[in-house]
Amino acid sequence: MAKRSAPQRSARSAPKAHEHGRRRCLRILRALSAFIDDELSDDVCMEVRRHLGDCPNCEDFVASLRQTVSLCRHKPTPTLSSADRARMRETILQTAGGR
Amino acid sequence: MSPLSTPHKPKDRSLLPARTSKTFDSLYRDHVDLMYRFANRLCGETEAAKDLVQETFLNAYRGFKKFRGDAQISTWLYTIASRACLRMRRRRKGEPDRELSLDEFIPTSDGEFRLQIPVEGLSPEEALQNKELRQALDDAINKLPKKYRMVLVLRDMEGLSAKEVGTIMGLNERAVKSRLHRARLFVRRELSARGIT
Repeated sequence: MAKRSAPQRSARSAPKAHEHGRRRCLRILRALSAFIDDELSDDVCMEVRRHLGDCPNCEDFVASLRQTVSLCRHKPTPTLSSADRARMRETILQTAGGR
Repeated sequence: MSPLSTPHKPKDRSLLPARTSKTFDSLYRDHVDLMYRFANRLCGETEAAKDLVQETFLNAYRGFKKFRGDAQISTWLYTIASRACLRMRRRRKGEPDRELSLDEFIPTSDGEFRLQIPVEGLSPEEALQNKELRQALDDAINKLPKKYRMVLVLRDMEGLSAKEVGTIMGLNERAVKSRLHRARLFVRRELSARGIT
């Protein structure tokens, strides 16, 4: 994860309207996964950070993307019971031996 | 649990050489839980996941002699499971995978920039105690076209590197990263659209 030091907004007010061209936001949006995975070159990373500092909407967007990735990473999954493990092993070996 | 989908003759375990069986046992014991977790994340439901695990280990059993040890065993198993999953899904519904365009994820109103779900100030574990959120996340991942879901599962849920995912899926790293980005944006948008409170 990128060690981002953009200032936190104290009050979570509604995002302001863009004061710059939308094209800049689109460029940033394309790079956000690489940004949160810390895969960008230093100069591009700096450009993204600068943009996030200026654009509350994009800052919210990157926060929401981080939250999404974090939820995926921590999503619990069920585990197999010993009985299922044994039953499946038996089926596999029977199928392999039967052909 | 359903038996393997391919029909087979009555079983005679004595047909299996003892050494092969022993090697298989150790392979199975060491990796079955890993493969089940992967299969569950990929299939999104228990019975299909069990079928996929069985198919994976059956193919591994048959192909073990061909395994040259160039990759880790787990990478080899992930590869077998991914291919088996694509085959199984093709058999079930034959519909082609939809391409995800970056343009469809661009927010069109100010309210769409934030995630409309209650995660603020919570750890992911705490947030995921919310049943509705867990369900929304499951639904979002299950709705992903499979080639994007596979990348998301391998990279963000199984924790493999982009290079390993590329090896497993036969893609270069650039393609892996591009699919991963689209998959994340898709899940983000689906979660946001649910507006959980």
